[in-house]
Amino acid sequence: MVASFSVCAQVVAQQPCTLAISGQVVDEHDATALDFAEVLVLGTGRSVLADEEGRFHIDGLCAGRYTLRAAHLDCEPVELNVIVPQKGEVRIRMEHHSEQLKEVEVARQRPDENVGQAHEELDKSAMERNAGKTLAEMLATIPGVNMLQSGPTISKPVIHGLSGNRVLTLNQGIRQEDQQWGTEHAPNLDPFSSDKLTVVKGAASVQYGSDALGGVVITEPIELPREAGISGEVRGIGLLNGRGSGGNGLLQGGVKGLRGFGWRLQGSGRVIGDSDAPDYVLSNTGLRENGASASMGYRDHRWNASVYYSWFQRELGILRASHIGNLTDLNNAIASGTPWYIGEFTNDIEPPRQDVRHHLLKAEAGYAISERDRLVLTYGYQADDRQEYDLRRGGRSGTPAIDLFLATHTADAVLKHWIGEHVHGKVGVSGVYQENTNVPGTGIRPLIPNYRKESGGVFLLEHYPISPKVEMEAGARVETTRLDVAKYTYDNVYITPQHDFNNSAFSLGANWSVKDSVRMRFNASTAYRPPHVSELYSEGLHHGAAAIETGDATLTSERSVKVAADLEAVWMKGKLSTDITLYADRINDFIYLRPAGVQLTIRGAFPVFQYVATDAFLHGIDATVRYHLTPIWSIRSRTSLVRGRDLTKDEWLFQMPSDRTESTLLLTLPEAGKWSALEFSISGTVVFEQSRIPVGLDFTTPPGTYHLIGLSATATRTLSKGELRIGLQASNILNTTYRDYMDRFRYYADARGTDLTLWVRYSFGNH
Amino acid sequence: MNTDLKYMTMALIAASAITGCKKDEEGTVTPPIVNEEEVITTMILAFDGQGAAADKELRFTDADGDGGGAPVFALDTLQATSDYDVSVILLNETASPVDTISNEVLDESTDHQFFFQPTGANITVAYADVDVNGNPIGLQTTMATGAASTGTLKVTLRHEPDKAAAGVVDGDITNAGGETDIEVEFPLVIE
Repeated sequence: MVASFSVCAQVVAQQPCTLAISGQVVDEHDATALDFAEVLVLGTGRSVLADEEGRFHIDGLCAGRYTLRAAHLDCEPVELNVIVPQKGEVRIRMEHHSEQLKEVEVARQRPDENVGQAHEELDKSAMERNAGKTLAEMLATIPGVNMLQSGPTISKPVIHGLSGNRVLTLNQGIRQEDQQWGTEHAPNLDPFSSDKLTVVKGAASVQYGSDALGGVVITEPIELPREAGISGEVRGIGLLNGRGSGGNGLLQGGVKGLRGFGWRLQGSGRVIGDSDAPDYVLSNTGLRENGASASMGYRDHRWNASVYYSWFQRELGILRASHIGNLTDLNNAIASGTPWYIGEFTNDIEPPRQDVRHHLLKAEAGYAISERDRLVLTYGYQADDRQEYDLRRGGRSGTPAIDLFLATHTADAVLKHWIGEHVHGKVGVSGVYQENTNVPGTGIRPLIPNYRKESGGVFLLEHYPISPKVEMEAGARVETTRLDVAKYTYDNVYITPQHDFNNSAFSLGANWSVKDSVRMRFNASTAYRPPHVSELYSEGLHHGAAAIETGDATLTSERSVKVAADLEAVWMKGKLSTDITLYADRINDFIYLRPAGVQLTIRGAFPVFQYVATDAFLHGIDATVRYHLTPIWSIRSRTSLVRGRDLTKDEWLFQMPSDRTESTLLLTLPEAGKWSALEFSISGTVVFEQSRIPVGLDFTTPPGTYHLIGLSATATRTLSKGELRIGLQASNILNTTYRDYMDRFRYYADARGTDLTLWVRYSFGNH
Repeated sequence: MNTDLKYMTMALIAASAITGCKKDEEGTVTPPIVNEEEVITTMILAFDGQGAAADKELRFTDADGDGGGAPVFALDTLQATSDYDVSVILLNETASPVDTISNEVLDESTDHQFFFQPTGANITVAYADVDVNGNPIGLQTTMATGAASTGTLKVTLRHEPDKAAAGVVDGDITNAGGETDIEVEFPLVIE
């Protein structure tokens, strides 16, 4: 059955936010109406239910770009970008199982939604606006998501106060495994390889397995073309701060006479030199990235199969002045207020530096067992090859101080099925086999030992639409993990300890469309995370942190229960829209580093930090409010607050993001001359001083409140049968000097000054 | 419903086969013993007594390097009002044969400098060696003791110090910058 979805938008009147879209949802296969499909206007909280003839009407809309999503019980949801007011008719043909497949203009199959989970998306236009930034920087524009940084080059996403191994990243549907335990290890994936990021802001272990405590970052695969012809795009980026440049090229096509077959090639690169803080160069903060991916696949009404391979390489410098010898140096750095090493600008990257290569191979096959049931098998292989070079004596700076090779196999089998008329869902098994190897030759005792990890899980997740307005989802997973460690102790005794972790997770969620303009989501779910080998077996000096870190082999799995409620609503006939998420997260056996005395070494005295477990409680609020002043002018405000308490010690948790709010004034013009979809914005961000800190865990007091101002402009036009989009993005335009609490290098240097990014995207072809 | 169950079972079996096929492999890759190359386990201040003064030694040993067991001191008492030629010797005693790390410092002498800071003890220190640029290194010094006293002598080795900064060639660490490779405070008794 082919679902087609046609929309015609019409201008009702040129008054504030009184525009409307109406249309019809039809089954393209036989052109009959699809009854009672749900049509959502993303980002506004508006949704309506189509009638028996598939007709729907949404009014109270302002001028601007919207994404509509239509969902129907028998079809995968489909999304469509529209500009309101819309001239003429927009058509989307969505691929489904039919031989009468027509050309696909805009089509995307969504993974199963996490019912009741608050989630937010960075769509294609949001991602292109942030081109040239790291994945974490892009995600940090979402309320509830922050960044944990180690200088300008390394950043990790923080969701609802949790990061590292407590945030799961799904790259192309595969669990990303890239030594994410290290705070100075950024996710190794190419932001250009996807054009949409989704953040699930909730515990989601049922769906995705361990580690999904804080949330899940999903880089969604771009659907392969199915029709003959070639299309593609070229992107170029220039960055002022760091004098960097980057680019991406994509080419995709189908084969004539082989409907359903498609291929894609993509390659990208990014080179950035030393960044500038307002008053000095941040020496050795250059970056070089290269990525490439190739995929091909076939799909018909019964079968689908695809192969995807990506390679990503990143070499980055670590701020020279952050390399310190001992606590005295750290205290000197804090007292002096400026980096002890400031050189001339250069593109060169010297030790301390990291060099990482990440390979991902994914193979997927699906088979429609019946009209409604589908079996999908997925296999993924990842190789993560990491070398970290330190400043070393005796000409050893060219020998890696850390040389790790992490190989991970993942395999999943999922049966998407229906039980009776209403209940549908999926049941699946998943397995992970992982081996971590310290490549010999570093001449340094390994930071983390060699290990092998095997885990296997079974899960069940079922949706039940109670009524057209209320959908429920419930699920459960059991998983067992075995960890085999092989290492030498400090006394050079060889040990091979083994750990078994058995865990289970449950979830219960509901989506409730209270009325057309009000939609609520509730979710209560559990998640788990077995301790990482670094938390069990770290033993030694962590140079970057000027601390001796000691693992505890008796630690058990972290277990969390998270409850979240999300309210999306539209008020005042569409002029005001709000999206508010409230959450509370209780984590038992929360693992963190706690001071445990001082130890004398030849480098001087070092504080000792021991991995310990406590019970933690996090809660917070994310809010987005948008108000349309006129059809083209609007203001938007985004705020995130998070609070984390250590329940055992009765004190605040360390390194929790401070309060943050961003206000933006937006101007959206449907067209101006040859240009269309013009967007201009100016935004002000306030990040407050973190006043909720534990005693004795930090080396200095948190940095003060800071304000930043940014600008953005985007425009589109057609150019020789293709579409040209250009944009300009400026951040910290007042060149404000500041340091951020969530930047581990705040002890050593100020954050980046003014940055200006210019990007151009040209897309061509008819896919 | 029955067919659903049948297919679910099929899926489970298929997936178990996928996930189970790895189970028979041998154990984790055995890591080799790492002989840490850069560890400095031992620092010796060898006092070569001039004139009537006898040879003395101040020794700091952290047999397992940073972390692990606590370091130990072995300390001689220095003779009052005496002159010493002092050599700093750095060893890695985890290596076999024992690695003399002070040779590496000498090889990279323009990038290293020792600083000596007495507190409470009557002792003065003067550099007795230079790098290729004519700046002090501190592997060789002359020390002169005064009246009997008790205190400490802090020995610091800086990597990439700014030897041109004010006071640095005279042994003042204040403006030296760089990063600390060694920082040991020896208890010192002069009788």
